[in-house]
Amino acid sequence: MNIYIYDDYLNKPKYGRILNRVEIRLTDLGLNGKIIRLGAIKNIRDVIQNEIKSGAKTIVAVGNNQTVNKIIGSVIDNELYGFFQKNILFSIIPIGEDNSIADSLGIKKEEDACNILLARRVKKIDIGIVNNYYFLNKATIPCQGTVVEIEGQYTLEAEEKGVISVFNLKSSASDDKSLKINPIDGKLDVYIKDRSKNSTFLSVKKLKITSDKYPLLLDNIIEIKTPAEISIVSGKLNVVVGKDRSFE
Amino acid sequence: MFNKDNKPEKFKDAETVIGASIKVKGNFYGQGNIVVEGQLEGNLRTDANLFIGEKAKIVANIEASDAIINGDIKGSLKIRQYLAIGPTAKIIGDISYSEISIERGAVINGQIIYVPNNGKTTRAKQSEEASSEEEGEEEKE
Repeated sequence: MNIYIYDDYLNKPKYGRILNRVEIRLTDLGLNGKIIRLGAIKNIRDVIQNEIKSGAKTIVAVGNNQTVNKIIGSVIDNELYGFFQKNILFSIIPIGEDNSIADSLGIKKEEDACNILLARRVKKIDIGIVNNYYFLNKATIPCQGTVVEIEGQYTLEAEEKGVISVFNLKSSASDDKSLKINPIDGKLDVYIKDRSKNSTFLSVKKLKITSDKYPLLLDNIIEIKTPAEISIVSGKLNVVVGKDRSFE
Repeated sequence: MFNKDNKPEKFKDAETVIGASIKVKGNFYGQGNIVVEGQLEGNLRTDANLFIGEKAKIVANIEASDAIINGDIKGSLKIRQYLAIGPTAKIIGDISYSEISIERGAVINGQIIYVPNNGKTTRAKQSEEASSEEEGEEEKE
């Protein structure tokens, strides 16, 4: 059974027509399922857990990066998930803006997302975790005044202005195309680019970021205060992907 | 002999790159190729190859398989295979190598010791040869 979780912002009239087209396409493809609206529920974790108990096989986030982030923690942080993990798939139908996560997974448009869901091309990907928050795409923070401690072995500090990005998954739309980021290698990729265009690149399993000035931003939507301990949960999420994804 | 600004092909996809504006402090251990263009204090070790850029400043003991050095190093260098020292390199510390090339202009202040691939130093090998010669003479007597 498919569970479609709609974000609140989709209630706006401007998304009505797109949602109609998506729902018709899903029906045509025989992918009907249960619709749950985020605004109507208080505890998403309990709702998802109940649906998994009742036999849900696919959880589909209908919305944007924020929607994914609200749902993903409830999907994997779930006492049943470990038991059912092999059978539960996660997918996205991107609607509106801020869809770099869907883009990374090769899901570019809302109607294509339905075809991709039908094709059921599945990859088991890593998830980044920061102080009990999850991220799929990246965590970013400006360089100034930031200290990065890698696996308790050494520290990195940048002397020029720039951005520190900790990648799990690369978005082909917004991230540097030359970066080689792999979300199924059990590692996070730290990329630092300064205003003189010098770049630093390394792969790590865990790190700690400390900054007096700035919060850490997860998937461009959630701000976390530092110090923040970032690590990787390897191969945790079965996700439906498209052919144009940013990894093999 | 080689262009100090160009990295050889094998470093173009290095696993780790430390950019020019980055300062690293601590023990840096890697398994793949490493490129250092910034500053490093501590220890630096890799099972693979190392490229030190012209503007790099390193205060560390270094171990690698092959290495190309163009910057400043204060510390010991243990290179298991081939060490290439470029014209802008300044090294203060002892060096051990299996093969070496040094370009005109490089500054080196320390001992340079040949260590063949079997890991024995020249001095250890000489003392072994000397003791085996003595044994040979005793047998003749």
